[in-house]
Amino acid sequence: MIRFYIPLILFSFMVFEGVSQSFLPNSLVQADFILIPHWVFIFLICIVIFFEREEEYRSIYYAVIFGLMIDIVYTDILGVYMFTYAITIYMIKGISRLLQANLLSAIIFSAVGIVTMEVLIQLIYIVIGLIQIQWKEYVILRLIPTVIANIVFLMMIYPFVVKWLSNWKVKIEKEMIS
Amino acid sequence: MHFLRNKRLFIILIGMIILVVLIGYSLSNRENLSKPEKMIHDTVGWFQSVVHKPINYVSNIVSNISDMKNMYEENRLLKEKLGEYKRLIYDVQQLKEENEELRKLVDKSDSIRDYQAIQSTVIARSPERWLEQVTIDKGEKDGVKTNMAVMTPDGMIGKISQVSDRTATVQLLTGFDQFNRISATVSRKGKKSIFGLIEQYDEKTESLIFRIIDESDKDLKKGELVVSSGLGGVFPAGLPIGKVIDVGLDQYGLTKTAYVKPAANMHELNNVIVVDRNLPTLDEEEGTNKKGDKE
Repeated sequence: MIRFYIPLILFSFMVFEGVSQSFLPNSLVQADFILIPHWVFIFLICIVIFFEREEEYRSIYYAVIFGLMIDIVYTDILGVYMFTYAITIYMIKGISRLLQANLLSAIIFSAVGIVTMEVLIQLIYIVIGLIQIQWKEYVILRLIPTVIANIVFLMMIYPFVVKWLSNWKVKIEKEMIS
Repeated sequence: MHFLRNKRLFIILIGMIILVVLIGYSLSNRENLSKPEKMIHDTVGWFQSVVHKPINYVSNIVSNISDMKNMYEENRLLKEKLGEYKRLIYDVQQLKEENEELRKLVDKSDSIRDYQAIQSTVIARSPERWLEQVTIDKGEKDGVKTNMAVMTPDGMIGKISQVSDRTATVQLLTGFDQFNRISATVSRKGKKSIFGLIEQYDEKTESLIFRIIDESDKDLKKGELVVSSGLGGVFPAGLPIGKVIDVGLDQYGLTKTAYVKPAANMHELNNVIVVDRNLPTLDEEEGTNKKGDKE
């Protein structure tokens, strides 16, 4: 049963990402800088840090599946989010044992992850000719605000997420032993 | 260990190949979404509309409260305007009747001005903001097709880019590129109208670039209304697009371009109208359209 909670949460985050623009205050949405909600990604990082054991690769499967769903529903160009989510989560998984699992490490890993993922996505979009951007403007107007906004979101969900994830982890480990 | 590293490389390589194949597939000019995509669109769309309703309700209340501050002043102004409108409505009514009669006289019932409106609600906006897409809650089952124009009462906001059974994706004007042109016109009393193409959205000036083809009348002024001309073969004529804010030469100095500020607010989209042109559009084959036999 517990195994179903995580995809369910990921799915609802994905749905909320699309609706987010209508409940954020207008002054934020219409401002010059661009905030991109990467809530699915933030939660995936939490899973990597607080839930998954080292030899498990479930988070990467989730990254592939939900990245593909974001591609289908929100961008119409398949594969971009799928690939970048998967490869960034894989990278985060590789370095996640360097730090202890706490709020600070979650913030650091999210920031690193979002920057890598965003830049990768922009690179792919530029290569396929979808957008033309000035890197300087991109960093000031989109990358930095996005990282800050998503870290604020991480701090908001952090208390619940850690409690749930560590609870589930203990339960699953008990099941495995018995 | 050596084997493991190879395996990793192998997986990343396969991932890259899949990426390229998928991108290639989605960039090829495909007309319709594949079945699984439609299914995912519909399921997610259903959840979005469920979530959207209560959120919309709350945000409406909040905006209502902030609106109340200027209510008195607005009310006074609106009452003044109302008097004018009564006369206008009467005029429009008369003109419509006259138009219909004249049309009967010349035995031409369809015009590129006529359209069927499909009311719908915006349920989501793509978080990837470069793409400027929104999702609406009407799809193929309700008669929505690709390339239909989408508007609010203020003016045109975009066109349908993809349709699934119960939802559809709208490409907003602010995300238009060179492959999505609208033929537009500035119509004037007495003088020749100005024709041109809305080519793309310019981020810097936050306006649409309107390239004037027909140099019949050069004195385009600020504040003039640009409407769709219907000559592109897809959209009906007469949908307001925006107002001219600046006129200049293009980068080669050969043609004139005007900067057009969209009439509709692209950020506060809630209820939109999908516009189904009554005349068969260019890309529809003969016989497949219900109204095809009238022509």
